[in-house]
Amino acid sequence: MASTVSTPPTGTPASGEAVDPALERAAERAAARRGALLALPGFVYLGLFFAVPLAIVFVYSFATRSSTGRTILGEWSLRSYGRLFDPLVGGIAWRSLWIAALATAICLLVGYPFAYFIATRSPRVRGLLLVGVMIPFWSNFLVRTYAWRLLLGSDGPLSQLTDLAGLGPSRLLFTPTAVLIGLVYGFLPFMVLPLYAAIERMDFGLVEAARDLYASGWKAFRHVTWPLSRPGVVAGSILVFIPSLGAYVTPEILGGSRTTMLGSFIVRQFLSARDWPFGSSLSFVVMAVMLLATMVYFRVGGKTL
Amino acid sequence: MTTTPSPASTATKASEALAVSTAAVELAEVVKRFEDVTAVERLDLRVPDGEFFSLLGPSGCGKTTTLRMIAGLEIPTEGSVRIFGEEMGLRPPNRRPVNTVFQSYALFPHMTVEQNIAFGLQMRRTAADETRRRVAEVIELVRLGGMERRKPQQLSGGQQQRVALGRALVNQPKVLLLDEPLGALDLKLRQAMQLELKELQERVGVTFVYVTHDQEEALTMSDRIGVMDAGRLLQVGTPEEIYEHPRTRMVADFIGQTNFLAAVAQGQGEARLADGRTVNVPPGSTSGVAITLALRPEKLSVVPAGEPSPSGANQLVGVVERRVYLGSSLTYEVALEGVTLRVRQENTPSVAQCREGDRVGIRWDPASTTVLEE
Amino acid sequence: MRAGDAVRPRGPAQRVLAANTWAVYVFLYAPILLLIVFSFNDNRIVGVWNTASLRWYREMLDNAAVLNALRNSLIVALASTAVSTVIGTAAALALERFRFPGRRVYDGLVYLPVIIPDVTMAVMMLLFFVEAFVIVQAVLGISPSLGIPTITLSHIAFNISFVAIVVRARLAGLDPALEEAAADLYASRWQAFRRVTLPLIMPGVLGGALLALTLSLDDVVVTSFVAGPGSTTLPVYVFGLVRRGVTPLINAVSTVMLVASMLLVLGSLLIQRRSPDRA
Repeated sequence: MASTVSTPPTGTPASGEAVDPALERAAERAAARRGALLALPGFVYLGLFFAVPLAIVFVYSFATRSSTGRTILGEWSLRSYGRLFDPLVGGIAWRSLWIAALATAICLLVGYPFAYFIATRSPRVRGLLLVGVMIPFWSNFLVRTYAWRLLLGSDGPLSQLTDLAGLGPSRLLFTPTAVLIGLVYGFLPFMVLPLYAAIERMDFGLVEAARDLYASGWKAFRHVTWPLSRPGVVAGSILVFIPSLGAYVTPEILGGSRTTMLGSFIVRQFLSARDWPFGSSLSFVVMAVMLLATMVYFRVGGKTL
Repeated sequence: MTTTPSPASTATKASEALAVSTAAVELAEVVKRFEDVTAVERLDLRVPDGEFFSLLGPSGCGKTTTLRMIAGLEIPTEGSVRIFGEEMGLRPPNRRPVNTVFQSYALFPHMTVEQNIAFGLQMRRTAADETRRRVAEVIELVRLGGMERRKPQQLSGGQQQRVALGRALVNQPKVLLLDEPLGALDLKLRQAMQLELKELQERVGVTFVYVTHDQEEALTMSDRIGVMDAGRLLQVGTPEEIYEHPRTRMVADFIGQTNFLAAVAQGQGEARLADGRTVNVPPGSTSGVAITLALRPEKLSVVPAGEPSPSGANQLVGVVERRVYLGSSLTYEVALEGVTLRVRQENTPSVAQCREGDRVGIRWDPASTTVLEE
Repeated sequence: MRAGDAVRPRGPAQRVLAANTWAVYVFLYAPILLLIVFSFNDNRIVGVWNTASLRWYREMLDNAAVLNALRNSLIVALASTAVSTVIGTAAALALERFRFPGRRVYDGLVYLPVIIPDVTMAVMMLLFFVEAFVIVQAVLGISPSLGIPTITLSHIAFNISFVAIVVRARLAGLDPALEEAAADLYASRWQAFRRVTLPLIMPGVLGGALLALTLSLDDVVVTSFVAGPGSTTLPVYVFGLVRRGVTPLINAVSTVMLVASMLLVLGSLLIQRRSPDRA
């Protein structure tokens, strides 16, 4: 319809009214004021108790440490950032990255078929199976990790089992393997829930269409299901990787002194080694890495955390 | 205008008596811009009290935005909105004497039918027994007896629609705004509701401003229709005026089906078509001006080729390209030189049918031609 | 969307999927069940079953340190949940329903605490209170110390964000026309919020509060950084015990914590099942 209309609009125009174009702006300003007022408490609180602390950590990371362990503000240096390249730090960072990556991979490998299985059940069964995942997810993290210490301990049931089987007592506790198990156990629900959400939301008619177009079950999965569930894969991976990398409780309880990870190492700088500038620079770098990972996630198209 | 004052509330009568010229709704030079998109462009509109007025146009034409400005859900960028003579300005929706039936109904899912309908009265602190009485009346009016305790999700689409209507009407608004209220219903129900709505409006006598993209709906119910496109009000008139005398090609095309023939006015009620033939048209166009002839398919008739035309009637010859059987009628697409005309004929025994490929004459009365000057 | 047969693999693939699923459930629940069973073991040596008894529960109830830690935990959790639920809900409303200057920055500020690792958060809060105390002492002449207030303030700082995200998700699914309809039916802004918006986002608000409560009761790292003498919470106390070794007492305390959190979840699931817009 490419008609050009020259006829003026009809209807009876009202007599010349004083028309105030500022009204709309006044209404917008009033709405903005109300929004800002609602935002204010959170803004003040997070400003004071989050943004300011973050800035303080940043400042501390450039401070120096006296021989007695006091932090000297005012003598700025890059010393604590230089220490990041210490082979000891490198070793711990490498181990943390490696264990976190491995934990993420295992969660994905186990969690994907698990989530797929749940998502393809009938709604009633689906609800029940989901609650089964939610309950441990909401249970106390420390307690759940502690349970593995019981299970893996040198006189624990697992060790007794392997002993009975003639393999000798298992010595898993206080090894990287124990930490890995603990991390997978602790964060598996973080992988399963976004995966489930992504698979469940999918239009299964697309898989049927693929099958109709001569795709085998495997091919339909590879070309339809997997690409469509990728946002869930990315979200789940980030949700597992980030807390695994900064984990403190799990390596402390299951890893012992031989499996130090970044989280424990940072805590040590504050609670025992008393090198606050170094601890600050470390925590700042860890945070930056995670921020980067999250930004990648949003770039890939994730919307929810 | 067919606006007969209906046996409405005394308040409506009183306001009519007070100010004969006061319109229920009056928009003056209203403009609404969202960021850099202009949704409504210089709109002037007067809706008299008691009228069933429809804003008709394709989606995105600005009709819903116009309605929302009357409701107070949007504030115009420029211009004034008056309701019964009162300038609305920045007045929020809860202090305007209008109620809205939303496109999605927007029924409160956590309240029963009764609670939904009583909501407005409660907000205005109406006494409990009066609230009860009026809610009961409205439930009767919209025929929802027995559904009082149900939640909206337990109702059918048509019932939900009636709850939305009742929830608005119970407040006895001076103007009722309806935003495509029948859009979500299926065809049969929609047609039934059209008649029901019209009847209801006549009974309560409230001014209705009705937004729709469905021309049939607008034609069936409205006292007057305003056709909108691209933020502009193109034409306002009764359904008959709009259909029989569209003022622009857009209006002619949007309401019903229309054949367009490009021509040049010759004066003395004649126009020359592109292929050089001359036809009779209603007089009025200056000689030499390029015009478009709009012809409704049902105003044309197919006659055997070569049959002499009665004096005064126009007749062109062409070939039937397609014949579409529609049950009560038949449509022929007849190819002339350069254009294809669509002709609709009643499927009655007295009308001779023709086949694809037949050479036929197309005949029409010049008086049924609409001349568009553009 | 109902899953038809095309999406369910047949034959061995189906069996592998099912086996994996049951294996995951065993993996998820075996340690928990083991813990519960062993909490009833009379033997002082954790791994060796003796006879069933409530001995360690009795001991727990006689242990002043445990009870004090429990009390601290509850105070911190309830206070931080209450405050963060109110602030977080307001933040969610502001972000989802309004445009105001600085909205993008605010959005980032609200999301950041979720992304930040607990360890960094802990470091931040510790250094902040150290510096704040210096200023408070210089200005007011009083010398505050770390304790329950500092723990609570820190917990609110990370909980606001979680509440805001959960509530915002619920708000995003709420048709804005409902609020417009309320305004159209003469409700003032407050009435519209009170009668329409709030009841409809209540499942989200409760969900956010539950998450805040759980996070507060779970937290070890941040709390151990900003806790003072005598203000230890239960998880921090248990964590300290665990680091020294496994004892039957920990089993009992852990079982109680576990059962409490499970009851909380089941309760919230029941509430959600009765959410107001359900028929």
